Amino acid sequence: MPQDHPIDAWIWPPAIPAPSTFERARAGGLMIRYPKSDHNLAGVIISSLRRAQRDLAVLETKELVAILGAVGERFAQGPDDRCAAEVAANSELSPAMAKAVLRGMAQSWTASALDRLVRAEFRHPGVLDGFVAEHGRGIRAASPGVSVHFGAGSVPGVTVTSMIRALLVRSPVLAKPGAGDTALTVRFARALHRADHRLAAAVAVLYWPGGAAASADWEREVLTRPDQVVVYGGSGTIESIRARTPATTRLIEHPHRVGVAIVDPRSAPAAPEDAARAVAMFDQKGCVSTHLILLLGSRSEARRWCGQLAERLTALGTSLPPAPASPGELSAVHQFRGRLAVRSAASEDIEIWSPEGPGWTVALAGGDVFEPVGSRTAWVVPVGDQAACLDVLAPLSPVLQTVGLAGLPTDESGLIEDLIALGATRIVPLVRVPFPDPEWFHDGRRPLGELVRWAELR
Amino acid sequence: MTVWLEELAAILRGWSGGAPDFDSLALRVHDFQRAANPVLRRFWDAAGTGDPTSWEQIPPVPVAAFKDVRIVSGEPEVIFRTSGTTGGERRRGEHHVVSLDLYFAAARGNYRRHLIGGLESVTVVSLIPDPEDVPDSSLSAMAGFISREPEVSATTWAFHPEHGVDASAVRAAVRNAAVTGEPILLLTTAFALVNLLDELHAPADGRLRLPAASRVMETGGFKGRAATVDRGTLYRRVESVLGVPESHIVNEYGMTELLSQAYDKVAGTEPSRETSARVLRFPPWVRTRALDPATLAPLPPGEPGLLAHFDLANAGSACHVLTEDYGYTTDDAGLHLHGRAPGASLRGCSLVAESFLRATEGVARR
Repeated sequence: MPQDHPIDAWIWPPAIPAPSTFERARAGGLMIRYPKSDHNLAGVIISSLRRAQRDLAVLETKELVAILGAVGERFAQGPDDRCAAEVAANSELSPAMAKAVLRGMAQSWTASALDRLVRAEFRHPGVLDGFVAEHGRGIRAASPGVSVHFGAGSVPGVTVTSMIRALLVRSPVLAKPGAGDTALTVRFARALHRADHRLAAAVAVLYWPGGAAASADWEREVLTRPDQVVVYGGSGTIESIRARTPATTRLIEHPHRVGVAIVDPRSAPAAPEDAARAVAMFDQKGCVSTHLILLLGSRSEARRWCGQLAERLTALGTSLPPAPASPGELSAVHQFRGRLAVRSAASEDIEIWSPEGPGWTVALAGGDVFEPVGSRTAWVVPVGDQAACLDVLAPLSPVLQTVGLAGLPTDESGLIEDLIALGATRIVPLVRVPFPDPEWFHDGRRPLGELVRWAELR
Repeated sequence: MTVWLEELAAILRGWSGGAPDFDSLALRVHDFQRAANPVLRRFWDAAGTGDPTSWEQIPPVPVAAFKDVRIVSGEPEVIFRTSGTTGGERRRGEHHVVSLDLYFAAARGNYRRHLIGGLESVTVVSLIPDPEDVPDSSLSAMAGFISREPEVSATTWAFHPEHGVDASAVRAAVRNAAVTGEPILLLTTAFALVNLLDELHAPADGRLRLPAASRVMETGGFKGRAATVDRGTLYRRVESVLGVPESHIVNEYGMTELLSQAYDKVAGTEPSRETSARVLRFPPWVRTRALDPATLAPLPPGEPGLLAHFDLANAGSACHVLTEDYGYTTDDAGLHLHGRAPGASLRGCSLVAESFLRATEGVARR
């Protein structure tokens, strides 16, 4: 990627004059440029989006699904090399991983996926287009108005998915992608602009350094003007946005999460392969990424299984290589492995599998040692039975999201109920962990249902 | 405290030039730690490095291990804890110190030379908390050592762990010193210094001129703080607000897990260099290497890498420590520090350890 040609980290409705002054920033391996902060601009953009709502509202859901889906289809069929290289550089994923992530994420953006999403969300999809009779009243899933979406970090596609959901419920959207998700979000928005003038008027993407002092006035305007704010991010980001969003503005929060797996190795011969993919995909930066694997069986069985997992992670290092690690990431890996080595020397039952370099790490340990490390690190904890799984998972309750199961039936109602009680919101076969279906209950919420404003007419 | 540690403290006190042989002392300490600390012995055995013949062959202990395991050869006299600014109580490292006297021996000569040299009498104003308020802070302990030096006529503790900088106490101490013209030694963290300068900038007070020959020891960075400022800008503000020239501002580099410290100049006695070009120097019983971040192979001077220090004063815990700091060594055994190893700026939506620890702090582990 040429470093002296920054990519545009913005696109907004054609009715708004193009910016004339820019800031530059490094976003992963890319240089990006974005309009210089001007808090008056927030009013201009939000007002313009608000005007676009009328045209968006008359689009029928079928037509909207077709337009959005056609654009999504092009990404699902496989990004061109230039797009993949740009996304890889921006998100600091290897090109092969960036392609895999793009393909996987875009499966939820096709017309058939969006149609499935709408049907799963609304018993009568017509509620998005007008009133539908139900129990003696008319009900309508109305647009929430203009929404602002704050994307998270560097997982490509998170902001696009959020943007598509907003448009499906006729909400004109200003999306602020995470720094590492800028290239894809702008590319997708550009494709929407080209696809339909009504969408062009209803979609704006703009990156700015979130939380920076220079952005304070701009962010105040951006948070007080829309009708709905959706935020993905760490605790600090969410708390900061929560504190500045008016009580009358609907705020939808998606904090960082952690994923786990429960495996019965005797009934799941493919589990090492599936677990390796669940750990490695997104370089373990996705909210669905698996960090902790509870293995039903003895320690010696777990040891054998760790060896198999290590082999699969080694193989993925070739087919889905990690991006070159920064000194900071390498330092974290040395500290982590060394720390476990010292703990192991202090007679804790910890064993480590790892290559010479960073790549991946498998740690066989007790559940009380676990903390998410990233960099393709899998903690494997042997457990005697399902009840013991719950003991290990109990401390993760506030942050638990996806539980991948292998060798265990998903109709095992006792375990499932207990996992739900702990806070799990997505319980799926381990092989399906990396890419959720379009209609998944993101953090326990309906993806479209959480966005609409329900109205009744009697 | 063992006889050996007493002997080592005496060696550090009397260290001059290249007198003692570093390698033989390092290997002796290594033998002592192998015998006294089964955790380290097993750690080194597992690393499979065999019997080392030089200090460089002894595998370093990652600084993160101080958060999990009691690394100590004997009964500790005191436990120093890291600040825990990023991750709460469960992330605080602990340095179990067997001999406070060894700490004193390692610290004293160095701070006297760099901070007090040439002064007959000095007033200490400390923006580092009183060791009585924070008994588990190694930095406070060192400030306590300094406050008891014979040249120190008075000490004002002007920072409270809960209430922060006490600017009025600083003003009062400066007024008193101005009467006699006695120089002030201001001990401070960079973060507290910024707070003091901000407070003194209030229009009612304006500048507060410290007496001639006053000096400032500034340490630490802005870890976990919202605001940061580069060192050159900070020093220019110190000169502008307190009247202490850059030539009298000394940066100290230390960490809870090491009992020796590095300084980047002798206060007032060396020609001033560009702040960014200053070089930190440890006492001669510390060796520092920059290691390749990928392989941990040693790097030549000038090439930046992860810093590992071998500090003989750590004989009661672990001498060879792999830090999370990034920097390079110089041809004349100096050290240029860049700060934390860079990178990992882009995160996804998966939870990272620090957030995880904070989020799950209240949930009891069974």
